[in-house]
Amino acid sequence: MENQIEVRGLTLDFRTPRGRVQALRDVSFSVPKNQIVGIVGESGSGKSTALWSILGLLPSNAEVRGGEILFGDRNLLQLGEEQLRAVRGEQVSVVFQDPMTSQIPVLTYGQQMLDILYRRPNLPIAEKRKMAVDMMRRVGIPDAERRIDQYPHHFSGGMRQRAGIAMALLMTPMLLLADEPTTALDVTMEAQIIHLLRALQQELHATVIVVSHNLGLVAELCDEVVIMYAGEIVERGDVRQIFYNAQHPYTRALLECDPARVLKRSRHLPVIPGEVPDLTAPPRACVFSPRCSRVMDVCRRTKPPDYEKSNGQIARCYLLSEEHGDPDWPPRSDVITVYRGGPSRGGAVPRGDALDLPNSTAVSAGDVATPLLEVSNLCVRFRIAGALAARLRGIQDPHVDAVLNASLTLNPGETLGLVGESGSGKTTLGHAILNLVKAPSGSVRFDGVEVLNMAESKFKPLRRDMAMMFQDPAGSLSPRQSIRALITEPFDIHGIQGRDKDHEAERLCGLVRFPRAFLSRYPHELSGGQARRVGVARALALRPKLIIADEPTAGLDVSVQGEILNLMSELQQRHRLGYIIITHNLPVVRHISDKLAIMYLGRIVEQGDCDAIFTEPAHPYTEALVRGVPRPDPEHRRTLVSIEGEIPSLARRPKGCDFHTRCPYAQDRCRTEEPVERPLSDGRRVLCHFPLFE
Amino acid sequence: MSVKPSDSATGMPAIDSTGLAGDVRQRTVRETAGRERREKLLLFLRNGQGMFGLILILLFFASAIFAPWLAPYDPNQLDIPVRLSGPSWDHLAGTDQLGRDTFSRVLYGGRVALKVAAIGVSVSLLIGVALGMLAGYGPQWLDNLMLLAFDTVRAFPTIVLALATVALTGPSLGMVLAIIIVTLIPQYARMARTSTLAIRSTEFIVAERSLGANTFRILHRHVMPNVIGPLLILAAMDVPVVVTIEAGLSFLGLGVLPPTASWGTILNEGYLAIRDTPSLVIAGGIPLVLTTLGFTFFGEALRDIFDPRLRKGR
Repeated sequence: MENQIEVRGLTLDFRTPRGRVQALRDVSFSVPKNQIVGIVGESGSGKSTALWSILGLLPSNAEVRGGEILFGDRNLLQLGEEQLRAVRGEQVSVVFQDPMTSQIPVLTYGQQMLDILYRRPNLPIAEKRKMAVDMMRRVGIPDAERRIDQYPHHFSGGMRQRAGIAMALLMTPMLLLADEPTTALDVTMEAQIIHLLRALQQELHATVIVVSHNLGLVAELCDEVVIMYAGEIVERGDVRQIFYNAQHPYTRALLECDPARVLKRSRHLPVIPGEVPDLTAPPRACVFSPRCSRVMDVCRRTKPPDYEKSNGQIARCYLLSEEHGDPDWPPRSDVITVYRGGPSRGGAVPRGDALDLPNSTAVSAGDVATPLLEVSNLCVRFRIAGALAARLRGIQDPHVDAVLNASLTLNPGETLGLVGESGSGKTTLGHAILNLVKAPSGSVRFDGVEVLNMAESKFKPLRRDMAMMFQDPAGSLSPRQSIRALITEPFDIHGIQGRDKDHEAERLCGLVRFPRAFLSRYPHELSGGQARRVGVARALALRPKLIIADEPTAGLDVSVQGEILNLMSELQQRHRLGYIIITHNLPVVRHISDKLAIMYLGRIVEQGDCDAIFTEPAHPYTEALVRGVPRPDPEHRRTLVSIEGEIPSLARRPKGCDFHTRCPYAQDRCRTEEPVERPLSDGRRVLCHFPLFE
Repeated sequence: MSVKPSDSATGMPAIDSTGLAGDVRQRTVRETAGRERREKLLLFLRNGQGMFGLILILLFFASAIFAPWLAPYDPNQLDIPVRLSGPSWDHLAGTDQLGRDTFSRVLYGGRVALKVAAIGVSVSLLIGVALGMLAGYGPQWLDNLMLLAFDTVRAFPTIVLALATVALTGPSLGMVLAIIIVTLIPQYARMARTSTLAIRSTEFIVAERSLGANTFRILHRHVMPNVIGPLLILAAMDVPVVVTIEAGLSFLGLGVLPPTASWGTILNEGYLAIRDTPSLVIAGGIPLVLTTLGFTFFGEALRDIFDPRLRKGR
């Protein structure tokens, strides 16, 4: 098969004050024509650097040390800026990660697309516009003729990404680069975009390189996969080979860590211990050897060469060599090769501790009768315009209901997953429980005490019992404070005297396994996983009873995700914590939740036992979410997208059932009559006229 | 197959529940706390520009404080025969139209400048930041009210304000200070307000609220350190501005009264005699230039150190 592009021995450094970061070392891969190749790796693996070096779009401190990128008969690394510009957009174009920031906000899509067509000077404007409209239609933008004259802010996230794809494909490039094309999107949007990319690729016979950390996306989309780790390619091959018969221990570990692939529900998710090596001084031997479960002496001494199997799969690991190899490697796919988190972990937390800590025994059986948290009919409204502005713009009601009639119950030691797309009001609900936003009606009872809208002075003592973990691991830490100050701050705030703060800081570090030497660092100097641990430590500082965790795994790599979740469930067991986990990540929530509540447009549309919801969703929206998660399994690609359209604006809440605009089962009654919450036979409650399960 | 990782492989120090190594650990924690402070100092010492600025500032301070010992003459001593003379061994920077020694007057002028600059800038910065943060963090009505007040003050030209007040109270150094403070506050307050508005809705402020931090703590510990950086540079660069305001007011007879020496009056006197004795203008101008330079460099160095995020890039 002819190659569209071939990268050979690419070696690239970044000059930084800390020294040279050897971001890519001898990276070679090729992309056959009309194929989709996925580059997979965790953050810091160099996958994006490899992608951007194709177009020469690298930061100014990057320095190519060697190698070549052959595109046709040219070496892209040797082209001047002028020649590179001719390649960019024309022959190679890009779909960006975040359509919110990668499109020009002050130009309409029509103008932006005409700009792209400036390289076709002989084409009349009308013709260009026709091309643009045609492309917008192809990517599934309804009413393209009219919408092309709108600005990016008129488009919703999913539509913008579609428009971004349209712009990238407008010049019918030979090669399309996609950098995390669905990371900024919701689950239902993600499914639609994957479907679209796949369809367009087949229709236009395009060659595509997709960079992603999302194994589900790669399995659904790609023909070939390249696995990168710490600046090297450790394995590459056909997508099925990679997913079913991974040769490199890292690939194997990465696949096993993906919660979506862990079929059996488990509180202890697999993890890859350790951290990515410091690339200013990358190991001379195998890069993965410090974290590898099958490490041998030879791996620590010399770098393994690439071993090629008969089917073309290439892996850089001594396990495949004749001399050191293991004939039984790789083991069958149901054998777990990585460490599975749990209380028995390497002496860090002695097993005995997990069961009989004073905190857990203190809670007697009688306490279970009162739920830890009881939310009923909670509503949160936001003002969207002032009284005068609303009258001038003819808005009847200048409010939106961010949360409508939400009711929840949480017992001590229980985990409730609060799931929904962005804009569903799940974070607002969390904030209302913690008295961070005012709620006009409803009730929140914590430990039997009504706390809703309590004055801050009265509520403050309760804050010791209710803590929150925020979505952005580093962004939720005050940037000018050292980690020590941040971890011990809860003690200062609550005026807890007579404790050695340094000692407390250490205790908490130990609890969340945060390296003590980093206490004097600042938030921006931490990795995502470390910053997340600080967030956990702060939440735990005052031994709360309830923790509301907002997207606890957002921004974390698959292997680190597992560590944080294991840590959280371990702490839950020890201290009988109640968790509310706010997330859109269904594979994760399935493993850690006892109960689920699905939110849509501010309402809880379904809630009940986690397993029951996953096996037999009752609400059509729940079904769409559960089926919408990309399966990291190339043999089971979804053929159709479960639900169309996007979540409507809160200001334009549909009449009748909120979901009828996107519901595949909607009937006349749904369009006129609001459904009433009703119980199902197994104790679940659902907000639907025609639930899929009675 | 399950694999048990050793702790060294996780890259994290082993945690023992026995606390055997307790005091060893304790020491390392305290050491690192000291390290933060030392690190900041070291960063400043390594910043060449900042050090140069600091040296200029120290010179300014020293010359002002030790003026009585450094000055070869009494700054107000008249010597009409040698009036408007150029630099000589007797008069290092020449004399003015009354024959007073310019060098001595520059040294003494520095005292006025230092007093006005130090008090004027620090007081207005203090009040300005406090008001600005309250406006940015507090309720909407307070914000509107304060903005109205700031803009009203800013709409007044400084000189008009000075003329009006002096007409009521008579000229004095205290009056100059009051006018400077009133005109500077809105500038700092507006800047502090804008930064506070940007910060108030960030996740780390919500995180602090969820921990139960009160408004004072949030403003003092979490908003101020993020707001103060650019304001410090602004304040440092305002020092020369304040010195010129004082000079201008003094020239108009609204500020420091003769015969007290100030750089402004020296400059203005020099301006009248610029054709005969340029040394007078030069002597009045050089300290002004050096002070500007010193405070600007110093301000920028401070900003770099205050903002840990800027460190990596440099």
